[in-house]
Amino acid sequence: MNPVRPITIAITAMGGQGGGVLAGWIIALAEAEGYIAQSTSVPGVAQRTGATIYYVELFAKVSAQKAGQDPVLTLTPIPGDVDIVIASEMMEAGRALLRGFVTAKTTLIASDHRVFAISEKEPMGDGRQNPEHVRKLARATAGQFISFDMEQTANDAHSIISSVLFGALAGSGKLPFPRKAFENTIKASNKAVEANLRGFGMGFDKAASYDVPSQKPQEVKITPAPLIAPLLQRLHDEFPKAVHDTLVHGLKRCVDFQDVRYGALYLDRMAAIHELDQVNNGKDKKWHLTRDLGRYLALKMSFEDTIRVADLKTRSSRLARLRNDVAAKKDQIVSVTEFMHPRIEELCDVLPAPLGRYLSRHEKLKAGLGQFFKKGRRVETTSLRGFLFLSVLAALKPLRRLSLRYSIETGRIESWLNAITNAAPVNYALACEIAGLQRLIKGYGDTHERGLRNYTTIMAALETFQAKPDAHKYLKKLKDAALLDEDGLALQKAVQHLQKRRTS
Amino acid sequence: MAERSFDAEVQKLKVGAGETFHGEGILAVTKALLQAGVSYVGGYQGAPISHLMDVLSDAEPILNDLGVHFETSANEAAAAAMLAASVNYPLRGAVTWKSTVGTNVASDALASVASSGVMGGALIIVGEDYGEGSSIMQERSHPFAMKSQIWLLDPRPNLTSITQAVENGFALSEASHTPVMLELRIRACHVSGSFVAKDNVRPVFTLADAMENPVRDYGRVVLPPSNFVHEVEKIENRWPAAVSFIKKHKLNEFLGGHGGDVGIIVQGGLYNTLMRAMELAGLADVFGRTEIPIYCLNVTYPMIPDEVRGFCADKRAVLMVEEGQPEYIEQALNTILCQADLATKVVGKEVLPRAGEYTGQVLLDGLRQFFTAHAPGQVTTNTNAALSSKDQKKLAKTVPLRPVGFCTGCPERPVFTAMKLVQKELGDFHVSCDIGCHLFSILPPFNIGNTTMGYGLGWSGASAFNTKATKRTISIMGDGGFWHNGLTSGVGNAVFNKNDNILVIIDNGYSAATGGQDLLSSRANNETRVTGQPIERAVRGLGVSWVRPVNTYDLGKMKATLKEALSTDEKGPKIIIAQSECMLNRQRREKPLQNAAIKNGERIVRTRFGVDPDTCTGDHACIRLSGCPSLTIVDNPDPLREDPITRVNNDCVGCGVCGEIAHAAILCPSFYSAQLIENPSLWDRLRAGIRGAVIGFLQRRADKARAKYSFGGEA
Repeated sequence: MNPVRPITIAITAMGGQGGGVLAGWIIALAEAEGYIAQSTSVPGVAQRTGATIYYVELFAKVSAQKAGQDPVLTLTPIPGDVDIVIASEMMEAGRALLRGFVTAKTTLIASDHRVFAISEKEPMGDGRQNPEHVRKLARATAGQFISFDMEQTANDAHSIISSVLFGALAGSGKLPFPRKAFENTIKASNKAVEANLRGFGMGFDKAASYDVPSQKPQEVKITPAPLIAPLLQRLHDEFPKAVHDTLVHGLKRCVDFQDVRYGALYLDRMAAIHELDQVNNGKDKKWHLTRDLGRYLALKMSFEDTIRVADLKTRSSRLARLRNDVAAKKDQIVSVTEFMHPRIEELCDVLPAPLGRYLSRHEKLKAGLGQFFKKGRRVETTSLRGFLFLSVLAALKPLRRLSLRYSIETGRIESWLNAITNAAPVNYALACEIAGLQRLIKGYGDTHERGLRNYTTIMAALETFQAKPDAHKYLKKLKDAALLDEDGLALQKAVQHLQKRRTS
Repeated sequence: MAERSFDAEVQKLKVGAGETFHGEGILAVTKALLQAGVSYVGGYQGAPISHLMDVLSDAEPILNDLGVHFETSANEAAAAAMLAASVNYPLRGAVTWKSTVGTNVASDALASVASSGVMGGALIIVGEDYGEGSSIMQERSHPFAMKSQIWLLDPRPNLTSITQAVENGFALSEASHTPVMLELRIRACHVSGSFVAKDNVRPVFTLADAMENPVRDYGRVVLPPSNFVHEVEKIENRWPAAVSFIKKHKLNEFLGGHGGDVGIIVQGGLYNTLMRAMELAGLADVFGRTEIPIYCLNVTYPMIPDEVRGFCADKRAVLMVEEGQPEYIEQALNTILCQADLATKVVGKEVLPRAGEYTGQVLLDGLRQFFTAHAPGQVTTNTNAALSSKDQKKLAKTVPLRPVGFCTGCPERPVFTAMKLVQKELGDFHVSCDIGCHLFSILPPFNIGNTTMGYGLGWSGASAFNTKATKRTISIMGDGGFWHNGLTSGVGNAVFNKNDNILVIIDNGYSAATGGQDLLSSRANNETRVTGQPIERAVRGLGVSWVRPVNTYDLGKMKATLKEALSTDEKGPKIIIAQSECMLNRQRREKPLQNAAIKNGERIVRTRFGVDPDTCTGDHACIRLSGCPSLTIVDNPDPLREDPITRVNNDCVGCGVCGEIAHAAILCPSFYSAQLIENPSLWDRLRAGIRGAVIGFLQRRADKARAKYSFGGEA
């Protein structure tokens, strides 16, 4: 048999990600360098964000002339027979592995960034898949594995990912063409030549000198303000070292939310929990309860009321971050409009508790005032009017303790802490699970209400099984079910299932 | 204006004799049509032949020079009926569409033209949308050829063979007075390559010649008694004529060697895949040189009994490589061998799968089985091992599926967001879908839709539900499907039958899913077509009185209109026309203009959206109501929170749906829109200066107050 074989290249990409551009460059490059080149693809609906494969075969003309015959080039990659796989995203590299395209003979060039699938973005919690699994298998399977965040590289170069991938392909040294030939291909395309050459160059360098990057966290010297120092001192004195990090974050959040006194309240509440933890041998469990609660209590105490939102929206740090997020250039003027939809409930929340409570119960009055809250509001934060309006709301912060929302949240926190305190001596793990229920309650408006509803359902169900030794397992099941769908159907089913088991 | 412009590529169509043509398969077919002296071309777009229509459309000046008429047909039936021009006159014509869906639509006219028979060559180019990447039911075009007795070509997938097949197709059609179907698989349509060109030929007998000197022959009309005569003609004259032409001109190829007592029969379109599989199995080299005899069917219907008998006579077993099912060729093969009393064993679906695309791996596995059983010791194995099955299973759970979805900023998205919100309030509805981008509504995150019955059939798909009930049904139809046939089969049908339900017509100005081609109702100016015919006028003309055009990006109004349609006491069909231009086309048109304007120093305001990471709590309700690709998730920067938060990436085109959703669904205050002013005016600068001074002052004061609470290091 003739040992001369075509070079086979599979580009696995998502529709609209420039796989076609890359395939076109490779074809043009190969033809210019005296190769017979063939590419195929499957356009159609796959182009609309689906996963798709471009397949390229290259064959030296010299070899064809020697044989006096053209090669028969094929149209689909065959598992075990792909020389180069170029994946424009990490999970697409995973898909190439899955389809058997990556073997010991393969050079795998993969961008180490993620474009999340809808199934990963949609869940109410964290639905992301772990790319480390793909990296590990890629390292173990591919003959050569070149991988870095090529999207970031493309952004740094103000170019497109195709040019970085093309550079990485050149840098891999797997194609028998000189760097110059690659660059000439980009030049001949006559489109964004400068930017593409920049991206190409950065891709080339990174691929040619590819090494596994290491990251070391940087130590930061901390000098707290005089008002804060005593709080931190107390934290260090009263709590075990293992939970310091979490508690510092929690404390910081509470102070930022309200004031120093509120921070002290956080520490008071944590101290009670820590004592409970100590009594129940928490030390053997690495202070699980204290650590979990340090996180969840801080989040619960810093609830998202109108004052908080207005405060966050008007900070100086926000505008700087925002300019970066929207990729604004230095000389561009950026104006910002918020999309807010305060309901009558949010008005009640900020009113002094008795007044708020009166209004929220007075249906007629509520309906009358509700007229003004039917529509969403656009607030231009960068205008004087908008900024002042939000600033006034933010300035209500010192009065927050009088508000209806504060009083409601305090009640919720206390009954939650009670439930934890009651559970801990009997079932430590259950106490931790109850603490974790905070994760269900997030967001605003309907989202927040849905979370509360789920929380209440679970706490009611808990009463029926809390005496069981594996109550914590049941609770975890219910929590997971609550995160499955918005309408609470899975949770409802799970609760019914539990009750059936109990009665039978 | 189509999604992809072929203005540069079409210049290649002018390449003359002896020159080498480089390009895509579909462009090569166009060139071959011109070389064959075609007089008229029609068709309906759809992958994988959309580009053929786009190329022809962009090539109209060249076509006009050659006196070729090109028409974007209203649907495939209209395209097939166009072939009637070849019945009475020596005119060569070609039509094209996506198969089998297009062939389904076309088959009425196809059967008629096949019965009448043709004088001029009639070529039907079908893009066989089968296997990976296909978006339609998995069927074959083969039986359409069989039932109407149309000859079916399936050439080897290289540009020389494909262009030769076009030329042969016309000649075969004329020699046998029968239309000829040329089947091109998805990848063949998009394969790049080269072939040696010939000069374009101007038809000798023109369309005008026919119009000015009409010829009539009752014997060619499908009416009794001619229809009976046609059937006899097919059997007694046309079929034998085709068989002898195919034999004489060697349209099928005997490739490979002459050794051994086993052989392979393969559909031409699968030849390249087969040869690579054989090479990997150690049975051939990369040039296709092999000892194994191969009978390559470039014509898969009709079969040529003489050739089959000759090939099989000295063989114990033959492998039949035939993709798809039912296995018509294998059955025909068995019949021929049986009638000839030949004992050659035909092995086909016994070792190859009944369903699915025949990829290299599939054929490799089939070859191994066949040779192990019938010619052992010939196959070698030297492929590299991939993942272990354990690793593969585990990895399959990690790698997420990527269902197709609406593009960034797509105007169809808010229609389904509105429907999802309405369903949340009023409960689920029966939703009948159509064909087009809007069909993505059945996928996450919308999960809206019960059935899809075919292009333009969205409303007729729900026509049974025309009875008294407490809920109405909602049907969807795109502007593409509307003009394809939905105007009559959906709207006319509903008016006539006193339907009381709802139709939402997605009017984005293009046949978007097939590549953004213009339609009757397109708002864009098109020099070669008539556009600007509003859908609203069409449906009112049919007698619908409840018609509401709504801008799709106005989510609140869309929601209110849907609710009104669902609850109104007014009887009769209710039509909501959801209007906004396809964002892909809009960006393609506007982006270059905008960039040029910015370069010229003009003041341009660009809008894009963002999410504040410190107010976003990571519930992702916005994603569940939108699914915009630019709406993604990132690690929560807050060390206390665990769930990832939403982020708007730089692909955002500022369509505004995020903000509308935040308002309509009362979601959260995290969304903001940022207006970026390029080349700000003096007034802009002045205003920004004043604002900056005041806001800056207040912010500095707040920063100072906050500094009292600093933890230091601000990590």
